[in-house]
Amino acid sequence: MADQLRILAFGAHPDDCDIRAGGLAIKYARLGHQVKFVSLTNGDTGHFSIGGGPLARRRQAEAQCSGRNAGIEYQVVDIHNGQLMPTVENRWLVVRIIREFRPDLVITNRPNDYHPDHRYASQLVADASYTVTIPNVQALTPHLMYNPVVAYWGDSFRRPYPFTPDVAVSIDDVVETKLSMLHCHTSQMYEWLPYNQNKLEQVPEGDAERRAWMAEQRLTVMAKEADRARDLLVQLYGEQRGRAVQYAESLEFGEYGGKVDEVAFRRLFPFFD
Amino acid sequence: MSEPLRILAFGAHPDDCDICVGGLAVKYTRLGHKVKFISITNGNTGHFSMGGGVLARRRYDEAQRSASIAGVEYEVLDINNGQLLPTLENRWTIVCKIREYAPDLIICNRPNDYHPDHRYASQLIADASYTVTIPNVQSLTDHLLVNPAVAYWADTFKRPYPFTPDVAFSIDDVIDTKIDMLDSHVSQFYEWMPYNQNKLDQVPTDPAERKKWMAAQWVPPMAKDADRFRDLLQKLYGEERGAKVKYAEALEFGEYGGKIDETAFKRLFPFF
Repeated sequence: MADQLRILAFGAHPDDCDIRAGGLAIKYARLGHQVKFVSLTNGDTGHFSIGGGPLARRRQAEAQCSGRNAGIEYQVVDIHNGQLMPTVENRWLVVRIIREFRPDLVITNRPNDYHPDHRYASQLVADASYTVTIPNVQALTPHLMYNPVVAYWGDSFRRPYPFTPDVAVSIDDVVETKLSMLHCHTSQMYEWLPYNQNKLEQVPEGDAERRAWMAEQRLTVMAKEADRARDLLVQLYGEQRGRAVQYAESLEFGEYGGKVDEVAFRRLFPFFD
Repeated sequence: MSEPLRILAFGAHPDDCDICVGGLAVKYTRLGHKVKFISITNGNTGHFSMGGGVLARRRYDEAQRSASIAGVEYEVLDINNGQLLPTLENRWTIVCKIREYAPDLIICNRPNDYHPDHRYASQLIADASYTVTIPNVQSLTDHLLVNPAVAYWADTFKRPYPFTPDVAFSIDDVIDTKIDMLDSHVSQFYEWMPYNQNKLDQVPTDPAERKKWMAAQWVPPMAKDADRFRDLLQKLYGEERGAKVKYAEALEFGEYGGKIDETAFKRLFPFF
């Protein structure tokens, strides 16, 4: 392949990237591109009956399971869950991770989101953007000669303005694999998230049963994302194919990363004929 | 009434809640609901000729007087005025305050506001929201099983977008009590704020006269708010009653607290 892309997604927790950009990651990986997920915290509070080191190690193993399913690299940074702050030290850490991976595209959540870790993760990526090009910052890690493009994955927040996709991708062909990624996160999908939503007793016993139970909820969200981005899907895939897309993921371009012109768009998103 | 509602308002300073939702607080307490105000700072810089501990203690007393008029509980945290920052330590403090009160509704200012303490107060509430439901955070204070709804009181800032009310209330029936609450904050309404606005010389000396003088400045904005929220008032109270509302307070729902569906709306706002 002439042009191998390098895609770097930052999440605050060791399942955030999987949930919001898992399908996209699989699509890139299947085309031979390099994808890396980074969780900026170790997830060590995301449970009701375990916590601390044992939970962080369990979630690290779950993230690696998910990474193997997708064919991507998965790094979990050892910062406590719920304590991610936009400090200068954390900014340098993100700068180094970006420089070392040399991504064409950085993906993360938008700066306004319900979880403080999400908000500060996005702020750190914004703070690292452009900064990665400055030789006098973290001078012992070679700077980038370009500012990587930054894009935000989809969310449903309305303020200060609703998510406005610039690109939407059908994940119909990879949705089963995406569900396998999510299925790896046992501690989250079948324990913590149902507990936190007061529906732990609804989780089925058997492995196949609970996967189907989880899939039903997750697919609804991905179908909604396809409907929300329908006009864009039609524009990108053509009328017939665009209408037929069942499940989608979408991205909105950030303003502080590199610009996405028409040529860059075609290069970065090799999914449309 | 089955279960009294529990309403928790956070302000950055020991008069912010009074000014912005004092009327609403009185309406809740008159119906037998529980209301608590928390000032996240002690207000110890809000004056021109006094400060520090003396001012903090004076303002604490003023807050307690206002609280006894409104029938609410008033807590003042001992963080210095003008020094509130969205640190993890302050986040944990807010998490524990919310958990201990177990509110149905949290009220505070929007995240974009003129005073740094206001902005960071709102950020701390946002950072504590959802976090209050996580057992592994501040584990020795029982976590909440439900993420409380969060609402912002009205302001006039236009950026990043203007205040957009989801619920508005007539405070015509409690306006005098709200003015009495404000009148409790002598150091602010008759000393610091006039000084800061270069009109200290205009403050009457007689207590009854100065109260009238203060009301003449503070009541018109509440009338303006009634006009600003007229459409919503008419939707909630009906065309005729809504048209007659003279003074109003309003709330905009936040996105990071619990969702307010139609059932929750009726339960949380038993005024219509």
